[in-house]
Amino acid sequence: MTIDYSRRNARAQAPMQTVPFREWAFPDGALWTQFYRSHEGYLLRFPGLADFAVSADARTVSCHPMADTTDDTLEHLYLNQVLPLVLSTLGRLVVHASAVEIDGGAVAFVAESGRGKSTLAACFSTSGFRFLTDDGLVLDPADAGFDVLPSHPSIRLWSDSQDSVVGAPTAVDPSGRDSSKARVDADTHVAFCAHARPLRRAYFLGDGSAASFTCERMGATEALVAWVRHSFLLDLDERPLLARHFDQVAVLANLSCAYRLDYPRRFEQLARLRDAIVEHLRDESVAA
Amino acid sequence: MTLQDRVHIPQEVLARHVGEETVMLHLANGTYYCLDPVGARVWQLLEQGKTLTEACDVLRDEYDVPGDQLERDVLDLVESLSGHGLVVVG
Repeated sequence: MTIDYSRRNARAQAPMQTVPFREWAFPDGALWTQFYRSHEGYLLRFPGLADFAVSADARTVSCHPMADTTDDTLEHLYLNQVLPLVLSTLGRLVVHASAVEIDGGAVAFVAESGRGKSTLAACFSTSGFRFLTDDGLVLDPADAGFDVLPSHPSIRLWSDSQDSVVGAPTAVDPSGRDSSKARVDADTHVAFCAHARPLRRAYFLGDGSAASFTCERMGATEALVAWVRHSFLLDLDERPLLARHFDQVAVLANLSCAYRLDYPRRFEQLARLRDAIVEHLRDESVAA
Repeated sequence: MTLQDRVHIPQEVLARHVGEETVMLHLANGTYYCLDPVGARVWQLLEQGKTLTEACDVLRDEYDVPGDQLERDVLDLVESLSGHGLVVVG
């Protein structure tokens, strides 16, 4: 599956003649992404940053940045936002999740932005457990369930997470909100797994209101709804794709691998949290 | 709607068994619906092409519910399903 990606000259974002069929916003209501249909296919607009034109067959993506948008921001937008949406249009199951390798299997941390999935991936990857992806987790159907595919070998962290988990913060890109995370490339300290691993467990992260480590298995229907809610889907009006996606998440839900996980968000407790997750995984594996 | 009716499931409605429940997706509006285990069993019987009466006959053997109560519950469920466009009666 190849996607032809090109970057065009910088240009201003001209007003669109149609209304977006969908919008993504930050929790405070600020606009993050607008989805438009165009003659060529789709146009994904990140206000003040860039437009991405996606062909109708989703095989070609052209980036039209604003003049001040940095290379790092463009790469982030493409890899973590645009590419997952494009892959969903090609029938792939892609979810908002990070993943790490534990005991040869993949453990996913599924959540919307800001709930700590990148911090968890970084915490594990600096402690002997390799990370598979920081976000935009791609699930590939396999004989016994799904494989988690590795993605770009980098993790994006807020400066406080980077400081606490992997070392001193580096300069961050000030041009965008989600883009103002620092990129930490995989190296000998931040270990990356470049091979697909079978999905063993998915933890859906809570909002941090729990007073202590809390983990509960989700019912199948609850899991299905959670997988749907956290999926990348570019066009909900594409019925064959929606039907295929429904089939995929139904299979996922029947794997009984989904858990609700919540814990206080305190950097000084990350190591204990990591140990508790590993212990929980191994205990439940034995029980199963 | 009467107990002699059958229902058919529109092409734009997909249903999958998830755990002990059944989840339906209505493709026309992208809405998901869920049936509990008893509702899922009713759905399964209707999917097989049984009339509502035939479905009630099977259910009467499986659940300890008075006959008239069972028929009312099945009629209510099918009416609700029909109202959401998940089945077409007749």
